[in-house]
Amino acid sequence: MDLFFLPIWPPQFNDTMQVAVALMLAGLAGEGLARFVRLPRVSGYALTGLILGPAVLGWFSQPELSLFRIVIDLALALLLFELGVRVELRWFRANPWILLASIAEAGLTFAGTYATLKFMGTSADVALLVAAIAIGTSPAVVMRVASEFRAEGQVTQRILVHTALNVLYSIVLLKLIIGSMHGSLRNDWSAAVLHPVYLLSGSILMGAAIALAFGLLRRGFSLSDEQGVVILFGLLLLATALLQVLALPTLMAPLLAGIIVKQWDRRPHLWPRHLGTAGGVLVIFLFVLTGATLTTQAVVTGGLTALVLIAVRVVCKGLGVALFGRVSGLSWRQSLSLGVALVPMSAVAYLLVEEVRSIYPALGNQVGAVVLSMIAVLGILGPIAVQWALRLNQETKEGPG
Amino acid sequence: MSLSTFASSRPLTLGIELELQLVNLHDYDLTGAAPDLLRDFERRKLVMDVKPEMTLAMIEMATGICENYTDALGQLTHIRDALVAGADRLNIGICGGGTHPFQRWEERKIFDTPRFNYLSDVYGYLAKQFTIFGQHVHIGCPAPDVALYTLHGLSRYIPHFIALSASSPFVQGADTGFQSARLNSVFAFPLSGTAPFVESWADFEKYFDKMTATGVVKSMKDFYWDIRPKPEYGTIEVRVMDTPLTVRRAAQIAAYIQSVARYLIVERPLALVEDDYLVYTFNRFQACRFGYAGVFVDPRTHEQRTLADDMKLTFKRIEQHAIELGADEACQALLADVRTGVSDADALRAAWQKTRSLPEVVQGQCDRWRE
Repeated sequence: MDLFFLPIWPPQFNDTMQVAVALMLAGLAGEGLARFVRLPRVSGYALTGLILGPAVLGWFSQPELSLFRIVIDLALALLLFELGVRVELRWFRANPWILLASIAEAGLTFAGTYATLKFMGTSADVALLVAAIAIGTSPAVVMRVASEFRAEGQVTQRILVHTALNVLYSIVLLKLIIGSMHGSLRNDWSAAVLHPVYLLSGSILMGAAIALAFGLLRRGFSLSDEQGVVILFGLLLLATALLQVLALPTLMAPLLAGIIVKQWDRRPHLWPRHLGTAGGVLVIFLFVLTGATLTTQAVVTGGLTALVLIAVRVVCKGLGVALFGRVSGLSWRQSLSLGVALVPMSAVAYLLVEEVRSIYPALGNQVGAVVLSMIAVLGILGPIAVQWALRLNQETKEGPG
Repeated sequence: MSLSTFASSRPLTLGIELELQLVNLHDYDLTGAAPDLLRDFERRKLVMDVKPEMTLAMIEMATGICENYTDALGQLTHIRDALVAGADRLNIGICGGGTHPFQRWEERKIFDTPRFNYLSDVYGYLAKQFTIFGQHVHIGCPAPDVALYTLHGLSRYIPHFIALSASSPFVQGADTGFQSARLNSVFAFPLSGTAPFVESWADFEKYFDKMTATGVVKSMKDFYWDIRPKPEYGTIEVRVMDTPLTVRRAAQIAAYIQSVARYLIVERPLALVEDDYLVYTFNRFQACRFGYAGVFVDPRTHEQRTLADDMKLTFKRIEQHAIELGADEACQALLADVRTGVSDADALRAAWQKTRSLPEVVQGQCDRWRE
């Protein structure tokens, strides 16, 4: 008798199995947090990732994580495009104080982080790179928490605008710093100038191209319902693929595209959040993966520094926003909570570390040790900070519906 | 609390209050930005009459005493400009319209003052459903008895004011078929309706004392009548209008009410009878439902005509008074709209037909408000 139809024993589990279990556990952890302690689901996803990742259970290893890179890129493209559409450039003309608050907050964070690292004896190159990454506020966390609690109001709006600007500052600054390193480390000064120029101008052009395509598509189709949103989803996937082919960063173009779309067309741009169910699952997976980036080695070498930097970052962001809070039209309570809500760090910071690592591996590992430890803490506590800020200002809707 | 004595005010002066919607610029739903906007005004030390309303997404603006239409339009424009600038600084939208087309009443939050919290306790969900936006017009009256005469006299014209201001066809995301659906929300309140038919202030005081003795009301504010006297100001207050989409139309409607009031006070065309109120709710409903095209039953002759026809007749009757008051231009503009059937409610429906998107309708309302 040949039982050829039976599976091999013992069973061989494939990658899909691992992903499936991770996703289910993340979902359960998220629901558990939401239901029993009324905390953001995102924290549960990140926590699951952290536990399954190399630092604790070791389900995912670093090389495996890079296989999922396209998931991270696409999920972030969706989120950043959504975020860009929430940025009204006209607002800065009507209320320039917001721009000043943003520059102050980002500048202080950069300077504070750099000074702290130098003081702790880190090399200037690492300190500069970490400081640039530390400016960023996680768009994924902020967008996700805001939509989970259907937040709406002055604090919500400002969190979104500051986050978008911080992502831009962080990326641009990092490109410039890496560029200058081509000069100092490789003595290749033409690359030092041309590399950032290529990346920035390429991102702007691609952003405009995505926005143009969006505008043309919206003329003919409704992109706001469950069906039409597929077109938009495809567009952003296509853009992500193209960006990779052109060796351009995948983060900046979708964000710029969103901003351009909003300026060209002031109509409401509405679609199911994160472009529907598929996008929603991608975003959840994004949090799990980001949570899983922490390694034991990173904790050992960068853990303590990370904790110090988190404290410095809270103070700098809080101070920067508070300086211009009142003149920009916020109450004290609103400006303080805004500062706290800008603290989350997540997937964007991880991708920036990866970018450094791909060009200068040794430097990248040093930067990663600190930044990944910060992500581990702020990926879990960050969402809670955002939720606290929104609740304190009564900007959440947590009732039925 | 007893009724204040009726202050004397210069006859036929005007005062206008407008309740406005605060919306976000992302999906154009209501947003609870009233405290932010008030803080902005406070910080800029702007001395203007801008007040909170029942829920956080509403704000009320009011003129001072206006001499005439031009004055009223000037004052309204001045406050409107300040509000628009404040809204721009907060990146929110501000607009007219009697209802927000798709807001969900259960998401509203009560503005935290003792009075609003008290009302919310008494009326429960009705308080949140009261997130509707009206225009109130005060008309100065020289003496209390004249005020009561004008009040009852104006009641015949209430359907006119409703049709001219109607701008609330959509409620909770659906087309109600009404031109002004807002007034349906007012009817839910136990003390809505009309003032008692009394012609002397002494009798009115008696009625008020009897009502306070029952414990049902504490002050005039507790009556949600269509027209009510405001003894502190020496005015009567017409409260049936939706907030129009533009300040210009709000001023025009006020000028029309002023002209009708002058016609009543100066000509005293008819002695008042309680039976005039027999057709009141019918006429009022027709105006809410069909606007200019509604049926109007003449309370005296019981003749039926369209509301538009009755308005055209009225415009002719009051023309001289409008000219005297400097309100003629405003009345002519309204008459032209009645002739061509133009109303804010229809404009909103047309915007929906064109875009099939209620958020875009609200975006259009915000643009109109800046005109």
